[in-house]
Amino acid sequence: MKERNTTSTLKRILVNCSSQAKEYGGCVAKKVPEVERDMCLKEFLALKNCMQNVCLTSVFCYIKNFSMSANASSSQLTVGLSGSGGLSHAYVQYPPLKCNLPGSRGLYYDDANKLLLSPTSDQVFSWKTVPFSPHVAATADYINEGPVLSIRYSLDAKSIAVHRSNQEIQFFQRETRETFTHMCKSESESILGFFWTDCPVCDLVVVKTSGLDLLTVSFTSKSVNLVETKKLSVNWYVYTHGSRLVLLASGMQCKTLTGFQLSSVGIVRLPRFEMVMAKSDANSKPVLAAEDVFIITVYGRIYCLQIDRVAMQLHSYRFYRDAVVQQGSLPMFSSKISVSVVDNVLLVHQVDARVSILYDIFEDSRAPISAPLPLLLRGLPQSHTGRPVNVGESLDRNSSNHELMFYGDDWTFLVPDLICDVASKSVWKIHLDLEVISSSSSEVPSNLEFLQRRKLEASKTKQLCLAITRAFILERRPVTMVAKAIDVLVSSYSHSVKTCSNLKETKVDEASASVGTNASNSSRSAKDESRVGVGDKSFNLSASDSDDQSREIDSRDLQKSGKENLLGAESSRGEVQSSSLHTQQLGLGNNQLNANNSERQDSQLTSPAISPDEMYSCVFVPVGEEIVGDPSYLVAIIVEFLRSTNSEKIKVRPNIYVFTIQLLVRYERFAELSLLIINKVLEPSKEVAMQLLESGHQNPQMRKLALDMLRQLSLHHDYVTLLVQDGCYLEALRYARKHKVTSVRPSLFLEAALASKDSQHLAAVLRFFSDFIAGFRNTPEYQDYFRILNEMNTGLAV
Amino acid sequence: MQLCIFDLRRGQQEGQELDKILFFFPADLPFATQLSVIGLSEGLITFTRIFSPDAACEVIEAERHSHVFYEAESDIWMVMVVDKSKESKAACQVDALRKVLKEVHSLFVLFHGTMRSMLEKETSGGLIRSHLYPFITDYLSGCGDLNLTCNFWADFLTGRKLQLPSFHDCLMERGTVQMLTVGREAAIEVQSLVKVLECSAGTTSCYSLVLFQDLLVSTTLSPDDTISLFTYAVLRLTPHALSSGATSWSYLQRTNAGSQVPALSTITNSGSVSDNIYRSRDASLDQENNCQVKRPLHHNRWFRGNDGFLASDIWGTDNGSQTSVTPIVYLQLTEERMYLCAYQHKSLTIILLVPVSSILNGEQGLSLVKQQVLENASLKMLMVEEKLSKGWGGENAYHVSGYRYLLVDDERVSRASPPAKVMTLAKESLLALSKLREEVNLEKKRAKCSNSEVNCDKELEICVRAKNGAWVIARTSRGKELYMVLEKASETLLYAADSVEKFSNRYCSGVFSLD
Repeated sequence: MKERNTTSTLKRILVNCSSQAKEYGGCVAKKVPEVERDMCLKEFLALKNCMQNVCLTSVFCYIKNFSMSANASSSQLTVGLSGSGGLSHAYVQYPPLKCNLPGSRGLYYDDANKLLLSPTSDQVFSWKTVPFSPHVAATADYINEGPVLSIRYSLDAKSIAVHRSNQEIQFFQRETRETFTHMCKSESESILGFFWTDCPVCDLVVVKTSGLDLLTVSFTSKSVNLVETKKLSVNWYVYTHGSRLVLLASGMQCKTLTGFQLSSVGIVRLPRFEMVMAKSDANSKPVLAAEDVFIITVYGRIYCLQIDRVAMQLHSYRFYRDAVVQQGSLPMFSSKISVSVVDNVLLVHQVDARVSILYDIFEDSRAPISAPLPLLLRGLPQSHTGRPVNVGESLDRNSSNHELMFYGDDWTFLVPDLICDVASKSVWKIHLDLEVISSSSSEVPSNLEFLQRRKLEASKTKQLCLAITRAFILERRPVTMVAKAIDVLVSSYSHSVKTCSNLKETKVDEASASVGTNASNSSRSAKDESRVGVGDKSFNLSASDSDDQSREIDSRDLQKSGKENLLGAESSRGEVQSSSLHTQQLGLGNNQLNANNSERQDSQLTSPAISPDEMYSCVFVPVGEEIVGDPSYLVAIIVEFLRSTNSEKIKVRPNIYVFTIQLLVRYERFAELSLLIINKVLEPSKEVAMQLLESGHQNPQMRKLALDMLRQLSLHHDYVTLLVQDGCYLEALRYARKHKVTSVRPSLFLEAALASKDSQHLAAVLRFFSDFIAGFRNTPEYQDYFRILNEMNTGLAV
Repeated sequence: MQLCIFDLRRGQQEGQELDKILFFFPADLPFATQLSVIGLSEGLITFTRIFSPDAACEVIEAERHSHVFYEAESDIWMVMVVDKSKESKAACQVDALRKVLKEVHSLFVLFHGTMRSMLEKETSGGLIRSHLYPFITDYLSGCGDLNLTCNFWADFLTGRKLQLPSFHDCLMERGTVQMLTVGREAAIEVQSLVKVLECSAGTTSCYSLVLFQDLLVSTTLSPDDTISLFTYAVLRLTPHALSSGATSWSYLQRTNAGSQVPALSTITNSGSVSDNIYRSRDASLDQENNCQVKRPLHHNRWFRGNDGFLASDIWGTDNGSQTSVTPIVYLQLTEERMYLCAYQHKSLTIILLVPVSSILNGEQGLSLVKQQVLENASLKMLMVEEKLSKGWGGENAYHVSGYRYLLVDDERVSRASPPAKVMTLAKESLLALSKLREEVNLEKKRAKCSNSEVNCDKELEICVRAKNGAWVIARTSRGKELYMVLEKASETLLYAADSVEKFSNRYCSGVFSLD
């Protein structure tokens, strides 16, 4: 049954999409010798669209023919659309966080605090989204009844601000339930929105049509004080807490943007700049909307992405302290576009095409890092049905079918990596599947580079990197290629070591900050200083340079997403009742602390950087076990590794040198080995010398090298012992006298002298020790050898 | 000077004595004289073997001649007879002369395989004779300044200069390699290059030798092969050898053409004379062999091609592609036959040995390998050359002011004061050192004979005050030897010993500091 179905589908696809298939095939055929990723993206998407449509019709046929339940089939359809063979570079994990409450009047996202807020008539429920857990319990706060345009918790989580109307913002203190209202002064201006800030001069920023008001909020005087006003006519604005950047749009086409960064360091006004918009004809003047502009923070740099619907391009701009620079454009394959940032990877969701394209905009390359694939749903419970992957039914029992409408109209993408399904009131977090991404890349060095930049699942990424490197070497790729890959790993490690000391400092700082009241200004500023220090380019207008820090900040600070306006627009009213939730709040505070701690433990591995030691134990040793025959390939790679570490000035432990010696000795490549030793490519150490001694049985030259090394390392005891072993006891004695080596037993020398059957030498040695070591004359050793010497002499005399 | 090579296994019957002679120089000497030299040598060998079966006689010192013996292969002997003039009495180190013989032999084996195998291949001896003659005359006839590291004692027997060691050369050691000292970083780069070279040749069993100027940087060959290949490279392949060949050629062309050309013709004449003698016996075979005789030591026949690889027409040109044929060398240890490819970039010379068995279609396959080497390693070679020349201190890099020295490690690696600096020494100092070295060699040999079981090398320390007041010093310790002339040292022995101590600590990591 199923087989028949698939064959008919395939046939249908071939019949119906022949033109698209031809185009795609032709495009591929044209470029065939140089196959690149996404080389015929446009054609592919066209073909894919067509195929999906055919699938649709085929499923309908299927429904007709077999009169199955429509529910099941349609969900099968959606799975079919989203699944795409079960492989995808990005996925969402089942189950989602459900924010479904009776009486809920909408969902709001507070990106500063990473809270999902749902007001009811007199309460506001909040769910923490960091760390993301579908089972997190909601916390409730009382607010007065009234309309809600948007809600944001203050950064210290002590108070709540509710945007009530164009003129009014209401404040609630959570502890005391005190409340007061801030009104717009003049009728002519209206409030577009607001956000809390950690800027030293103010607590709250209100965006009005006439500009920005910077305010301080005081509950003791139940008032807000105006600190500063930035006059500007504003049509709409976009803000993300991650970037601390607010962009204000003005002008007829709303394409003139002014930016302010309100960070804890101070306020920076960015130069005014114009967005690029193509015109369909001379007279048309497209208007830029707030939904068309995204602020994203990637690698601590702030970018702005702007949709140009006419040109079908996504323009990107990068913000510097004193300039805004256009960076190039990404293609659009859908009229509706959303973006997410997961682990510094930019996901551009082509909503209509139902695919997401991944970009790593670390370098200037605009090439996507993987083929356009849809998001995938993972972790659906299979036990419900006992049948594999029949997703529809199992979900039907749990929830509405909406849940699986991927890229549906109800989806709202929250900054940076959440998806809110408004209809089903569920929130998904987007994950990257690094394994899939890296397996789709054939360029190992660049792939490793990409992986080394991933910080979220550091230990997993590290294992992946190690596995890739191992496989790469075992495949016996050209040494130059492997050298490139190793360079990537080593320089990444060196980078992580260099920033490590900084990290430790800030961690101490963080700890003190979390113990104290979260918002103590002094610790903040201290932290920010260190943050500035970490920033690799001070020129950058940076939000948070190191990811570790940004996570720390995110878990505590309140944020607001620029997208929230979308949600806020359809807001409902809610009443606020002040109630003392002292204990609960404390609980929250504790939770936060715990969350911080646990996260820190998780992320103790803050980077997937691979140390030389791990390189040795997880790459070279296993590879050495598997590679059969001549080891020169592996030695070549170790030499490359040493070159890389040397150029990055990283210390390498002797075990890797010892390993190299073993490899070379096993295949008797003594010429190379002695060169490596003489030139100190394998740095001298006791371990190395001992390994050389061991191989000295096969080649006396190695023993000599070992002795020289011991001597140069001033390992006097070992050197003298070995000299005696070699029978050079006289030289050993001289050396012992010079360097005052008393730890070698005299009997060793005496035995050696006796073995040489030279009575004069024996006498000399005996005499030496009686001079050299006080009280030697009284030891039984002396007596024994004195007697032996006498016997020898008398024997000679006879 | 006379030099002969003979095989004791041949010509043992009355009337066939001539068959023993594989090579005799000068070739135009009457056979009776040749036979008398060989007969004397053979007699002595047979006689001394009675007492010392393993190591027969090494040298005979006669009133006017010294006979230096070297058993190159079992029963194949090389004997050199040198005149003792009044002036150079006892000036020539016997050991140095023997090393010349050894070097000739090892070079011959490098290109032609062992003499014995050649004799087995062609029992009449015509083949080996036709090969030996040009090979040894090429070796002995050097342009005066071809090899800067030594001075030459001239012998105008045949109207051409012969390269023979004299007392002037007592601060150098033939048959050793001179190494370039490199820092760790450069060493890693070199190793990395070597590995890339090996891998790009496709087979794992190829070897490489890297030289910078006339100094060895890296080798993957066995020590013996390294020495012979290094010697050849310094003689004919390094930039120095290439350029000096060219300049001396033009020098010949311009000024000395008149006087040199007849000399050249004499040598060819004399060659043909002897050839004719041999050929009279096995004419038909020789006729063919003669045209196949290659002269690897032929002067000025190597040049750098456009692709950076060195090429030579010594081995003829490939019929198909007009490219010159790549020489094949024999490794002593494994007896493998290898193609010798040499690449040169500025001061860097890289010799890559590729097994003949791994290349199926000859020159074509080789050019593929070369191409691959260029593709994979050319960047690295540029970088290594740059790194090495940055760290290179020039001709006098290893000069230590106040000292004239020679350091020998394990009889394989040596380092010495630059020859230009050695030239400044007085003749008396050099003669004294030459004598001292002779003594040390004798002592070393005695030590080797007496306690061959104990691998502890003889320790020795000799300080001699020469007639001109210079200190001449020799020290050996654990296989390392140090020879030194201190001309400006003051009177006391203590001072001299102190200077040696300083030198040892500073440049030999204290190997020679005894107390």
